[in-house]
Amino acid sequence: MRKVFSLVVIAMMGVLAFGQETPLMDTEVASVAVVANQIDIDYAQIALEKSNNKEILDFANRMVKDHNAVIAQAVALVKKLGVDPKDNAVSQSLLADAEKTKKKLKRTAKKKFDEAYIDNEVAYHKAVIGAVKNLLIPETENSELKELLSAVVPALEAHLGHAEMVQKNIKG
Amino acid sequence: MKSLIPKITVSSIILLTFFMEVWAYKKLKVLEEPPKKHTVKIFRMKFIPDHLTVKKGDTVEWVNKDFYLHDVTDEKNQKWTSKPFGQNEVWSKVVTEDEQYFCNLHKVMKGAITVE
Repeated sequence: MRKVFSLVVIAMMGVLAFGQETPLMDTEVASVAVVANQIDIDYAQIALEKSNNKEILDFANRMVKDHNAVIAQAVALVKKLGVDPKDNAVSQSLLADAEKTKKKLKRTAKKKFDEAYIDNEVAYHKAVIGAVKNLLIPETENSELKELLSAVVPALEAHLGHAEMVQKNIKG
Repeated sequence: MKSLIPKITVSSIILLTFFMEVWAYKKLKVLEEPPKKHTVKIFRMKFIPDHLTVKKGDTVEWVNKDFYLHDVTDEKNQKWTSKPFGQNEVWSKVVTEDEQYFCNLHKVMKGAITVE
């Protein structure tokens, strides 16, 4: 769980490091948004391979569908705006840390996997909610991209609530 | 004085009959009122409004304004469900009793209907 928090702290530091001198461009914000969604889809794919728990499988399937829906919206928007999401230090940092988490989840014994996965989901959603609300939305200039990010926050909060319910049930 | 009593009695009967007719008319009007349609918007992971008061037999329709799939499902024992529906799609139900419902895809989304 600490890893996930460090991931977002690094991402935050990345954004803050750019600071007022080099704020994230909208194309970079779009890239971060797509990457953050794809990371959670990747975590869910691991869960779908490793878990037999219905609650975990339902949650993972929901993550795949909802985060794919966000990516589809983001892709449609950048296409409409005629720009491409631009790779940047924040998205690279997110991806690098996600690789470590994925390896860890894949290595986790099946017996302990459900708890490890849902703990990571709770921490990841908390961290991403903070990053989207406090960093990405304020950094965004384009009103449609800002609107999309704003629409994503309630979904992330609903996912967090759902993940916490599953976490509570699993830990009994 | 004696001559006044029949007059008062007749007047009272007329008045009573009048009020009874008014009451019966109102009652009949309520019964004859066609069922209403109420709309719940599903937007940004919320049912809006999340609580409705309706009359027995009214229809409630849910309109999904999110780009995520949602459903509307009986919360207690899932005895009814809309099944998942997408953006700008509508699902409706005739309500005959109090209901507590949720989105079975996003379990924190909840709503309620009271039949008055």
